[in-house]
Amino acid sequence: MQGLTRYKLIFLLPGLLILLGIILFPLIFTVRVSFSGWDAIRPGLDWIGGTNYGRLFADGRFWQSLSRLGAIAFTSVVLEYLLGFGLALLVWRQVKFRRITRVLFLIPMMTTPVVMAVIWRTIFHESLGPANDLAGMLGLGTIPWLTHSAWATVVVILVDVWQWTPFMFLLLLAGLLSLPKEPFLAAAIDGAGPIRTFFNVTFPAMAPISVGALIIRLIEASKIMETVYVITSGGPGTSTETSSYYIFIRGLRDFQIGYAAALSVTYLVIMIVLLTIIAKILTKTLVKPGA
Amino acid sequence: MLNFFKIFKVIAIVLWSAFVVAPFLWALTTSFKTANGVMGGATYLPWVDYEPSLAAWKGLFGSGAGSIDVVGPFTNSLIVTLSASAISLALGTLAAYGLSRFRYKVGPISNTDLTFFFISQRIMPPVVLAIPFFLMLGYFGLLDTIFGLIIVYVALLLPIAVWVMVDFFNNIPRELDETAMIDGCTPFEAFWRVILPNSLPGLVVAGIFCVVFGWNDFFFAFTLTFTNTQLLPVAIVSLNSSVTPWWSLSASALISVAPLIIVAFLVERYLEKGKISVASK
Amino acid sequence: MGYAIQSLNVHINDEPHLIDINLELPNSGVVTIIGRTLAGKTTLLKVLAGLQEVSSGALMKNKKDLLNVPAWERRVGMVYQQFVNYPHLSVRENIVFPLRRAKLNATAIKEKLDYVSELLGLEEYLERNPSELSGGQQQRVALARSLVKDTDLLLLDEPLVNLDYKLREQLREEFRRLFKDSTDRLVVYATTEPAEAMILQGQVVVLHEGRVVQVGECSDVFHFPATTISAQVFNDPPMNLVDGEIADGRICIAESLHVDLPEHLGKLKPGKYTFGIRAMDVVLERDGANAPIILSEVNGSSTIVHLDLSGRSLVLETEGVHHFGETGDVHFSLDASRLYVFSDVEGELVVAPPRKSVLGEKGKQNGQN
Repeated sequence: MQGLTRYKLIFLLPGLLILLGIILFPLIFTVRVSFSGWDAIRPGLDWIGGTNYGRLFADGRFWQSLSRLGAIAFTSVVLEYLLGFGLALLVWRQVKFRRITRVLFLIPMMTTPVVMAVIWRTIFHESLGPANDLAGMLGLGTIPWLTHSAWATVVVILVDVWQWTPFMFLLLLAGLLSLPKEPFLAAAIDGAGPIRTFFNVTFPAMAPISVGALIIRLIEASKIMETVYVITSGGPGTSTETSSYYIFIRGLRDFQIGYAAALSVTYLVIMIVLLTIIAKILTKTLVKPGA
Repeated sequence: MLNFFKIFKVIAIVLWSAFVVAPFLWALTTSFKTANGVMGGATYLPWVDYEPSLAAWKGLFGSGAGSIDVVGPFTNSLIVTLSASAISLALGTLAAYGLSRFRYKVGPISNTDLTFFFISQRIMPPVVLAIPFFLMLGYFGLLDTIFGLIIVYVALLLPIAVWVMVDFFNNIPRELDETAMIDGCTPFEAFWRVILPNSLPGLVVAGIFCVVFGWNDFFFAFTLTFTNTQLLPVAIVSLNSSVTPWWSLSASALISVAPLIIVAFLVERYLEKGKISVASK
Repeated sequence: MGYAIQSLNVHINDEPHLIDINLELPNSGVVTIIGRTLAGKTTLLKVLAGLQEVSSGALMKNKKDLLNVPAWERRVGMVYQQFVNYPHLSVRENIVFPLRRAKLNATAIKEKLDYVSELLGLEEYLERNPSELSGGQQQRVALARSLVKDTDLLLLDEPLVNLDYKLREQLREEFRRLFKDSTDRLVVYATTEPAEAMILQGQVVVLHEGRVVQVGECSDVFHFPATTISAQVFNDPPMNLVDGEIADGRICIAESLHVDLPEHLGKLKPGKYTFGIRAMDVVLERDGANAPIILSEVNGSSTIVHLDLSGRSLVLETEGVHHFGETGDVHFSLDASRLYVFSDVEGELVVAPPRKSVLGEKGKQNGQN
C-alpha cells in the first residue's frame, strides 16, 4: 500500500491548500490587524495592543446590533421552520399539480436575495408601492413600512421568510419523503388521528433533520446584511442595523480597518460559541433518546 | 372534517403561492411601465391601469437615459460564477474523494477534522473575510478584476462542493474502486474511469448549489469591485439608490433571476428521485 | 517458493482484524479459507490483493516482498460476495476492462473475451447493462472479469453467498470444473460453507476471530480437526460438542448419557473431556436414549433435529425428509465409534476416530483423492 501515499496527497492537497490560502491566512491576518490602529489616515500594521477590543466593549452600537441580529435571526428562522414544515406536510401526500406547486415553493430560495430585496423595496414604498395600496383597501391607512423602526424590522423579517422558508421546505420535504412507512401504518391500525400521528410519529422521526435545518438556517441568518443594506440601509437611524452591516460600515465605509477587524473577530467568536450552544440545546430537546 | 381539511389545504397552498409569485408579478408589470405608470401610485394591469411600454426592456441592451445595460454585468456574472463553480467542483470532488476513500493522519488531525475544516467555512460571515480579502486583492492588484473575484468565489463554493460530494462518495460502495484497482487502475484512474462516470447525480447537485450560491452572491462582488468588473446584482443594486427607475430595475431583476428559475425546476426533478435527501444529510 | 505471510497483524480503527498470521501458500492450486462471518477472511484476501494496509508483518511472493507492490501492479483477480460490476459499462466492456487497462491489442482482447464469455455462458448478454442481469449472471460477469486477464492469484470472497440455493449448487460445480487443475495460478476461496471446501478440495485454512486455527489438506482437516473450533467451523451442521467424563470404562456425557468406551478411546486416561460428534453420527434408534425436540428443519435432502440434552443442545441429522412434531421426545443413540475427544480446557484434539470416507456415499461419488 506504499504506492498510495502519493495518490492520497494528489486528491486532497490542491483543494486543501487553496482553502487554507484563501481562508485561513486571511483569518489569521484579521486577528493580527485587530491589534493595529490601521485606518484611512494611517494605514499599516502597527501594534496598539488590545485598544480596539477595549473600545469595542464600550461600543453600544455594536452590542445593540448584535442583540438586534439575534432577534431578527431567531424570529425569521422560527417562522421559516413552522411555515416550511406546514407546507411540506401539505404537499407531502398527493396534491393536484404537485410538481408545479413544489417548483413554485422552491423558487424564492434560488433567487438572488439582493435583487429580490430591490423589488421588495418598491413594494413597500410608502406612497407608490402596492403594500400600502392593499393596506389602504383594508382600511389600515398608510403604514410607514420603511421609515418606522418596528415596521422596518417587520419588512426585513418578512423578506427573509419569503426567501428562506423554501429552504426549510426543501429539507423537511426531503426528510418526509424518506420516512419509513411502517410507523404510519402502525399508528393507523391503532386508530390514531392525524394530530396524534403527527406528534407521536411524524415529529419525532423528523427531529434530527429539523435540528440540522434549524442550525443551517441560524448560521446563514446570523450573516444577514445584504437585504438590510438594500431595503433599509440599516435605518431608520440604526434601528435595523445588524452586526455584519455595522462591521461593514466601520471597515469598508469609514476605513477603520483595525477596529473593524477587532469587531469581526469578536463577532465570529460570539457566533461560534452561541451556535454551538444552540445546536447542543436543540439536539437535546428535540431529539429524544430512542426516537 | 376531511372536507374541512381539504379546503384548508387548498386555501393554504393558494395563499402561499400568491405570496411567492407576488413580487415576480409586481416586477413583471412594473417592467412595462413608464414614469407615468409609477408616479401616480400603485398600478397593476397594463392597458387598464397604465399604458405599457417596452422601453425598460429595450434599455437593458442599450444605454438609454435612466436605464442600465445588463449585457456586460450579465456576462461578468456568468464568467465568474461558471469558472468558480467549475474550479470548486473539480478541486472539491478530488478532495471529497480523498476524504471519503483514504485515511489521513497528521498528528492529531484525521479525516473527520479535515472534512469539518472544509465544511465549517460556511459558518464564516462574509464581512469577516471582506476586510482581509480587500487588502490582499489590493496588494496583488486584483481588486476589481474577474480573476480576483473567481479566487474569492472558489473559497466560497469549495466547501459546498466538498460537503455534497463527500456524502455522495460515502454512499458509493468501496468495492467498486477496489475492483478497479485490481483490474489495473491506479487510484487516480479508478476515480477517473469508474467513480466519476457513476457520480453524475452528485455532481449535478453540487454543481447546482455552486452555481446558485455563486450567482446570488452580492457582498463580495460589491466590496471587491468598483466599475470595471461589475457583476449583475451589483449593477442592479446600484440603480436602487439613484432616482428610482423602477421599470429598468424590475426588468433587470427579472433577467437576473430567470436562470435560477430554470434551476428550481432541475432541483425539483432531483428531489423527486430522492437525490437531495442524500445530499443534505 | 509461493506466498509467505509472516507475523501479519491488521488493525482497523484500533480493532484487531488479523492477529499474528503465519501462512505458506503455493503458487498454484486451490486454497480454501473457511471461517465464520467476521473471522477475518475478507481482510486476509484484501491483504493478498493489496487493498488493505497492514499494521505489521510481511507478505512475500517467491521470497520477494509483496506489500510494497500496489494492487494495480499485483496481477490479481478478485470476486466479491456482492456483485461488483461497473454500472456505467456494458457487460462486454466490463469483461474487457482489465485488458484495456493492460493495453492489449484488439485481436487479443477479442480472443480472450470470446473464450471467457463462452466459458461462463455470457455470449448472449454482452451488449446488456449489468443491472439488467440476474444475480447469478452478474456474478458470472464479475468472475469473467477476474478470469479474462493473466493473473497469478485469484481471490474469491464468498462469491456464492448472495445467490439462491439452486444457482449456488450450479455455480459450485462450475467452480470445481474451472479451478480443478489450476496449475498457472493460485485460487484462494473464502467461504463459511464446509461443502464448498469439500467440492474444491485442496488446502484448507481455518480462520477464527482473526487467527489461523488450522492449516491442512481438506480431508485431513475434516478428519482431524485440530481444535473444537475447527470441528465446528468445518462441519455443517457444526459438530456437536458436549462436556463429559471418562470413568470406570464408560463415558458419561452431559451428566445423563452413558456410553461404553469404544475401541479407539480405549487408551484414554479417565478424566474430564469435551466430546465431539457429527450430527450424522447421532442416529435415530428406537431403543436409545430419549430427549425432547427443540426444533426440526429440512435441509436439502436431509432432516436436522435439535434436541435438548439436559440443557445442552444436540443436533441430529438423518437422511431423507421426515416430519417430527413441534414437541415430543426422540429416541436416539450416539455412534460411539465416531466420537472425537478434545481436551477439556484448551479444546485441542486428543483422539479422533479412524478415517472413513469424507462425505460417506456422496463423497465417494464426487471422487475422493
